[in-house]
Amino acid sequence: MVNIVVYLFTIVIMSMFVNIALALYGILARPSLIKKIIALTILGDSANTLAIIVGYRFAEPYPSPPVLTKLPPSKSDIQNFVSVAVDPLPQALVLTAIVIGLAVTLFLVFLTIQVYRLYGTTDVRKIAKLRG
Amino acid sequence: MRRILHVVIISSVIAFTVLAAYALCVGGLGYELPPIEPRTLAKIYLSTTFNPSLRILSAMAPEAVTAIVWDYRGLDTVFETTVLYLAIIASIAIMRGIEHHEPYDEKKGMSIIGKTATKIIVPFIVGVAGAIALHGHLTPGGGFQGGATAAVAPLLVLVIFSVYFLEGIGLTKNRALVLRSTGLLGVGITSFIVFMIALIKGFNAFILQNQPKPYSPIGLPYAFNGNIIGGTLLLFNISEMLAVAAGFTILFILLAIPEEKVKKVISSQGESHG
Repeated sequence: MVNIVVYLFTIVIMSMFVNIALALYGILARPSLIKKIIALTILGDSANTLAIIVGYRFAEPYPSPPVLTKLPPSKSDIQNFVSVAVDPLPQALVLTAIVIGLAVTLFLVFLTIQVYRLYGTTDVRKIAKLRG
Repeated sequence: MRRILHVVIISSVIAFTVLAAYALCVGGLGYELPPIEPRTLAKIYLSTTFNPSLRILSAMAPEAVTAIVWDYRGLDTVFETTVLYLAIIASIAIMRGIEHHEPYDEKKGMSIIGKTATKIIVPFIVGVAGAIALHGHLTPGGGFQGGATAAVAPLLVLVIFSVYFLEGIGLTKNRALVLRSTGLLGVGITSFIVFMIALIKGFNAFILQNQPKPYSPIGLPYAFNGNIIGGTLLLFNISEMLAVAAGFTILFILLAIPEEKVKKVISSQGESHG
């Protein structure tokens, strides 16, 4: 008998890696810069989701977000909180990564627009052959 | 040749993916997903995020994520803010020297329905963004999320009205730059605020310190008038919201500049540089 939770988790993780594989293929093999940027955002979001799911945990009856709701807490409140809350560290890393990723994506978009304005193409094969 | 390269790329990507997924599924992290118990580091964060009996280790903010972002790993976040700063500065440098002031004209933009709906929605978006940022130390949210939400409001105005309307009501690129710099300055000052207080009072302190720590008994109050403010976390969240919202506003304004004006500037630059 396969544990249903582990089975579902394995499917989710595998699908995220398939996403990452598609994104890596897009970045490495597609010639258009815009397609590369789209693939890069897919890669970033898949990696972020993967980080979040690594920080997930199994708790009875269900895991809670890492926010302490009872203020001021007693010692048993804190012990109870630690026994059900998910790992906050991946969430903290991901929330900055999303905003930074958006800024970097916009920067790449500006670079691509500039390349298009100057050379009239976003195809890296044609850009590589340009001289001067 | 190209075909061989393609095959190599595809097969290496597939091999990497299968190996990484297999490693993660059979416990490559040291445990099988989902774990019953989180990592020890997570337990330390969770048990000290708001713990009045452990003041010397606690961040005194009930939201563990914001406590990690701005207290436990504050230096990390300051450098992430630097990356944001550099990306925006680089985008501004690419689009330099373009002037595009024009009076706003009622015929520009979308229909009256879209404009009226936007007028109603925009104050709510700004309000929600402020609530997300100001409650960042209590509920899920914080400066980054609040700033990203607030940046939606100028984006909506840009799309529904026009870039000239946004500049007509006073939100030009340079003003957004000033707002963003104010936010970054706030982050910088807040990083040093406990340090400066300790210097004046003659104690030791750390950079990016929030609450009293061993060897440095100085810290900002974690509650004000009975409300929890989380020491420096509130200041950090407000500053970061300003920096993120204004930074994205700059980028959206630059993206909305008409193409022919940019082309004119680029061609004139090409002539002057030979």
